[in-house]
Amino acid sequence: MRILIIDDDENLRSLLAHYIRQEWPKAEVEEFDPLVRDMPDEQFPFGDYELIILDYMLGRGDGLEWLHEFRKRSDCPPVLFLTGAGNEIIAVRAMKAGASDYQRKQELTRERLITSIRDLTLDAAERTLSPELAARMEGHMLGERVRIPGFRILRLIGEGGMSRVYLASREGDDEPLVVKILRSEATADKNALARFMEEYALIERIKSRHVARIHGHGVSEGHAYLVMEFFDGGDLNKRLGGKASPPHEALRIFRELMFALGDIHECGILHRDLKPQNLMFRADGSLAIVDFGIAKHVDAIDRTGYGEIVGTPRYMSPEQVRGMALDLRTDIYSSGVLLYQMLAGRHLFDGETAVEVALQHLNKPAPGLVEELAQYQRLLDKLLEKDRDARFRNADEVIGFLARKFQQT
Amino acid sequence: MTDSVYTVVVEKDLEDLVPAFMTNRRKEVETLRAALEARDFEQLRQLGHRMKGVGNSYGFSKVSELGKSIEDGARDEDRVTLEALIVDYADYLGRVKVVYE
Repeated sequence: MRILIIDDDENLRSLLAHYIRQEWPKAEVEEFDPLVRDMPDEQFPFGDYELIILDYMLGRGDGLEWLHEFRKRSDCPPVLFLTGAGNEIIAVRAMKAGASDYQRKQELTRERLITSIRDLTLDAAERTLSPELAARMEGHMLGERVRIPGFRILRLIGEGGMSRVYLASREGDDEPLVVKILRSEATADKNALARFMEEYALIERIKSRHVARIHGHGVSEGHAYLVMEFFDGGDLNKRLGGKASPPHEALRIFRELMFALGDIHECGILHRDLKPQNLMFRADGSLAIVDFGIAKHVDAIDRTGYGEIVGTPRYMSPEQVRGMALDLRTDIYSSGVLLYQMLAGRHLFDGETAVEVALQHLNKPAPGLVEELAQYQRLLDKLLEKDRDARFRNADEVIGFLARKFQQT
Repeated sequence: MTDSVYTVVVEKDLEDLVPAFMTNRRKEVETLRAALEARDFEQLRQLGHRMKGVGNSYGFSKVSELGKSIEDGARDEDRVTLEALIVDYADYLGRVKVVYE
């Protein structure tokens, strides 16, 4: 395998080359410094390489312009484009210009680099050797197959149990968007399909800046899809990075979450699956809730079978663990679990299994905060009451508490 | 500024690459100072962008954070902030201790 790395940073080139050689000791890696070499001309032997890794800002040039020129060549190999984090519009333009994949430089780990190179260079026979790789390739191919009028699917960016998530762009203005496509096995499941379609119906009722904007929905090639807002700021999980937030920041995010909950509860909707992965941030730091896949309108709660347990064990309310009928207070409890995690930098409860974690919501008192955070203990206690009658009743009550105790208005 | 040492944990197999990384970062401080002196905000922006891109890759998140701030400061042509950031950067490089694991 022969790979060309074009980047103006010597250290980044060395690092990428190191990762590649570690994974493929026989790989030939050529480093190209755009600060001292001009854009490859028509004599450049592109056909000798199996992959080009190309940076966006080249010091003396624009990687997008280079990419346009490269793709005019019939012997141009796949191009992995490097962008800055939070610069998805550049990623969109790169993919439309013919990049085969992109990576956000600040988040480029050894694993991500190797996975991307493997996806772009290995042949079909090799792909079938790994079920994981085969599944990912199926995801890529599905993205290429599904056609959505007015939008273009560019790249698989995430996979969940029920659906796959793609970066997409709106035709005309290159606005980065997200397309969520229900997995084919889930499409065949009537309940899963109904839930997916209900997600759209629920979000459509909520007109709030605290909820992901939906740009379209439908079925294409037998696959149900939603087109949603893209979030430059990533999710809370990424923002926390396994650490605590400064208390003022944790409280700011929590207050935004309460406004978000207020908006969705006002529409009679329970989220039922609040967790860090479902709290997204825009570039301006504002928060929006996503993934209403298991949300319910309160009027429809009776349709959830008695004893059906839905949610994520770490963030479940005691009544959710018990499989009881739920009301607004279930989301209030889950918000408390999130606040604890933001303040303490660790999960409220840990355990070897999901069941072990879930049962602690029923039986184990919440651990107290350290002394420096004692001023938030009363708030947490009232959010994490195991008896929901003793808990805050709704988001407005919490917002009122924040205003009184922490002068947050 | 504090007297504390910044400890950065880097993967053992990157040990051979880190000295060159650190050497370039120290050179970068000089280049940043010269660019600020010349009020070359475009160069400052590019240098900040480069720091932002490379810091995290090696595990030096502070370099990326400072890089982003320098990029923003250069965009705003905010000399006072840029000067403070370059002082912070030099201070950080003087105190950082690398641990290989």
